[in-house]
Amino acid sequence: MMLPKKTLMSLSVAGVMAGLSLGSGYAMAQNAELRGNVRVVIGSTSTGGDTYQNASIVVDRLTEHLGVNMKVDAVGASSAFRTLDRDSRGNTLMIFHDQSYLGYLYGVQGYDDIFEKYTIGPTIAINPGNAYLVPMDSPYQTLDDIIEAAGNGETIRVSIQPGGVSEIGYSALKNAIAIEHPGQEENLVAINTGSQSDKNQQLFDGQADVINGSVQANEQYTRLPESDQKAMRFIWLTARQDTIEQAPEEGLGQTTREQLLEYVEPNVNVTMGGDESFTFDKEFFFLYNKDMDQGIVDQIDEALAEIYEEGEIQQAQLDAFFIPDFKPSAEASEYLQEKMSRYEEIITNIN
Amino acid sequence: MEFLSFLDLSFFLLVGFGTLVGIIFGAIPGMTATMAVAVCLPLTYALGLNHGLALLLGLYVGGISGGMVPAVLLNIPGTPSSITTTFDGYPMAQKGEGEKALRICVIASLVGGLVSAAVLFLFAPLLADFSIKFSYVEKFLIILLALSVIASLSNSMLIGIFSGVIGVWLSLIGDYSISDGGNGHTRLMFDFMEPYLFEGFSLLPVLIGIFGISTILLEAEKGVKRDVAGERVKIGKESAFSFSIFKGSFTNLTRSSFIGTFVGMLPGVGGSAASVLAYTQEKNLAKDSSQMGKGAPQGLISSESANNALTGGALIPLLSLGIPGDSTTAVLIGAFTLQGIQVGPLFIPENHDTWYVMMTALVLANFVMFVLMFFAIKHIAKVVMVPKHILYPLIVMMCVVGAYAINYGIMFDVWTLLIFGVLGYLIQKIGLEVAPLIIGFILGSQAEVYFVKSLESFGTYSIFFTKSPIALVLWALIAASVVFAIAMGFKSRARQKMELSQMHDPSHTASGKHHDSRND
Amino acid sequence: MASDLLSVSIDFETSHLYFPTLVHWILGILFAVILLTRVVPFMAAVRRGERTLPIIGESRDNKRFFGTFALIIAYFYLMDVVGNLFPYTGYGFLFVSMAFVLLMSLLYLHKWTRKTLVIVAVNAVVAPALVWFVLAKLFTITLP
Repeated sequence: MMLPKKTLMSLSVAGVMAGLSLGSGYAMAQNAELRGNVRVVIGSTSTGGDTYQNASIVVDRLTEHLGVNMKVDAVGASSAFRTLDRDSRGNTLMIFHDQSYLGYLYGVQGYDDIFEKYTIGPTIAINPGNAYLVPMDSPYQTLDDIIEAAGNGETIRVSIQPGGVSEIGYSALKNAIAIEHPGQEENLVAINTGSQSDKNQQLFDGQADVINGSVQANEQYTRLPESDQKAMRFIWLTARQDTIEQAPEEGLGQTTREQLLEYVEPNVNVTMGGDESFTFDKEFFFLYNKDMDQGIVDQIDEALAEIYEEGEIQQAQLDAFFIPDFKPSAEASEYLQEKMSRYEEIITNIN
Repeated sequence: MEFLSFLDLSFFLLVGFGTLVGIIFGAIPGMTATMAVAVCLPLTYALGLNHGLALLLGLYVGGISGGMVPAVLLNIPGTPSSITTTFDGYPMAQKGEGEKALRICVIASLVGGLVSAAVLFLFAPLLADFSIKFSYVEKFLIILLALSVIASLSNSMLIGIFSGVIGVWLSLIGDYSISDGGNGHTRLMFDFMEPYLFEGFSLLPVLIGIFGISTILLEAEKGVKRDVAGERVKIGKESAFSFSIFKGSFTNLTRSSFIGTFVGMLPGVGGSAASVLAYTQEKNLAKDSSQMGKGAPQGLISSESANNALTGGALIPLLSLGIPGDSTTAVLIGAFTLQGIQVGPLFIPENHDTWYVMMTALVLANFVMFVLMFFAIKHIAKVVMVPKHILYPLIVMMCVVGAYAINYGIMFDVWTLLIFGVLGYLIQKIGLEVAPLIIGFILGSQAEVYFVKSLESFGTYSIFFTKSPIALVLWALIAASVVFAIAMGFKSRARQKMELSQMHDPSHTASGKHHDSRND
Repeated sequence: MASDLLSVSIDFETSHLYFPTLVHWILGILFAVILLTRVVPFMAAVRRGERTLPIIGESRDNKRFFGTFALIIAYFYLMDVVGNLFPYTGYGFLFVSMAFVLLMSLLYLHKWTRKTLVIVAVNAVVAPALVWFVLAKLFTITLP
């Protein structure tokens, strides 16, 4: 069967035209706007955790503001990065926290340099709760006692989850001991543990002297009577002083902001050499595919700026014990890069 | 009794609705209680704490119970903790006793749920203090005890153990997870697999792949002949259910319920260990357990009462330590944090009303579950009457949904279904055993973490014996379990030999005996 | 001293290999035992013609067996591909499932009558649509 040449030609021309118009329509639609359904993957697999909570507070408001369907999926770090890698259309966004570059600094498998591989989006909030605790009846009253004891050759075991947010405070402490008591930093020993329950368990078992924890997860333990085997007390919050100062006055549970401030700098000082002292705020921010259109980056920046302008989101974050912390993407990227280089110094120092 | 003011009509409706939705989720192969709770979590923000908890606890109890349905009728565990329900449930369904099996399960579930709720209510803080006596060492021994079921569960102990170790091996693929305190390095794979297998194979897709997809492959091979899956299902008369089945099961019910509660209570020991452990103990301690695995009601009783007892058990550490006892309660924590309520050792004393509300919802959900299921069973059991050419494509489709959704949308989990479907098919063809393999897989990665961490903290193997009196008790149980399995093995071999020698010329029995496990 | 024999020190950097190595040893030993006590006698029996090899030596409905395989592989693959055209709408699942359910039903159906074909077709459209509507729309579960 032969079709007349003319018909074939016109058919193919029509086909090309249709393809072109479809393609250009697609390209135009792509230009500068989130559209269709958008999935926000997070670096945690827990839907009860702080990353999920933060992401959903922000995403709920973005959905409303932009009128786009957005949904948070707790797929975990490795899958989240992979999903983001594959989609440059802007249908996949990611929200994670400092773990994303700390994992890389600690050389954890599966983490790349996020500043090279992705576009950094805006920061949204801080979880000020990263804390270190000792048993209620511990001989160490302050962090200085611990630094001093390590300097005097006492072994101090710190239970942490290796390779990230939980370890950074430990590394800073080790660095401080190295500065104040050179050569003695080996006395601070990491016990590599998993979940919060495992870390608590290490303390109950007497297998650790200090544990990493959080205000949210451990506050009630600090209010148990001393006779209780489970009783603990805070010894250090890594947050900056002015971060905690922004927390609600009533603090968390029955521990007030006033009390929490006792455990942050300058009351607790972990030196980084010179006058500088170490702090760590766990900040949540967006990560985008490198090839995603700049228009979308701007669109989200603008939308968030307007949302934060309205002021309602701040209250929601504070109610959940998060500190509002919006920086548009360009500023966030610079800020986080600077933050990373400070921690990089610590980690190279102690290795 | 101020909390009574929270119990309005909508409270009861929400518990009922939650339980119903939970049962549906649990009953669909691949959908779990955890997923049901996670999906409905955002709703609770609008509902407020008490009503939100009513809904979520309903979902939790319903979801765990619903898992029995596909386990019995289709040989696919609806939730990981109903794995042992398939061992006896499916053989019963094949004999046409699916409805009876389900009724037994429902009653056992109710008892398990209520026992654990009572334990939770009366002893939560006390038990929390006891549970923290279990460190890495004791948790490893608990896992080992659960693994010891493999010895008595398998047709041939050698093949069974081998299959179990393969299961353990498969569970180790992927990274030694940082979130377990490992170093995050991957092992047992090639570099090109890393993008897919970084976190290893997920449990749920593995389970439904090895049970669901491989069953379909085996059927396809035979040409999907008999068009109705369970054409011999007799509804009524011959295999009628009666409460007399439970006569003499008091010990089993109580023991299994307490095991379920107890395992649920240990943070970090997964829920599926509960039913496995209860099943082991019934197998070891019952007067006659020779029929278990071939369709014995006692197996269903121990499995289902234990897995429903998880609910109360897992809430113990959640409410008195602030630590979730299983994956579902981990999501439940979100409901509290969404409402700005902290869970921890002071939760119960500081939130009395919420505590009573939760207890009411939990007990209520168990009764609603019982009523809904007990009367719906007659209709549910008819699933097996659906022609296979309609049923099988739908099973595959639902397995896909479940696998894809379990980790919130990961395509590799869907491929895992196929990989393990094929693996399950091959395993059965070459004569390895599926049940031990899957138990090995479920428990393998926990065994690793607790084993390695014990050695890391104490630096000696002897710690497993000297750590605490609890460790010694656990060793005694493990030893008893193994000795029992060996004795059982000898007994059944002797019986088989006798039967064979009566039937055949004695000279043939020697060569026949070697391969009896290969052909079933 | 017994305690020296039992003492171990695990290097954190290689701790991910400690347990797998142990498992490999156990697997290896068990496999050797099975090889000697089971496989060797079995192969001997195969050679004598008393038994047949699994899979290779069995009869099988090739059309349905390999058809199932092909359908499942195509289903999983196309779901992802089609889903990618309509990101996160679940359409990939919806449309490809309809085709899959239809084809697999037809494959397994022994007697094609008008009535069964209508049932099969209706089922193939309604079931995926219902699942899609309830899960993707009502519960906003992400589907391919």
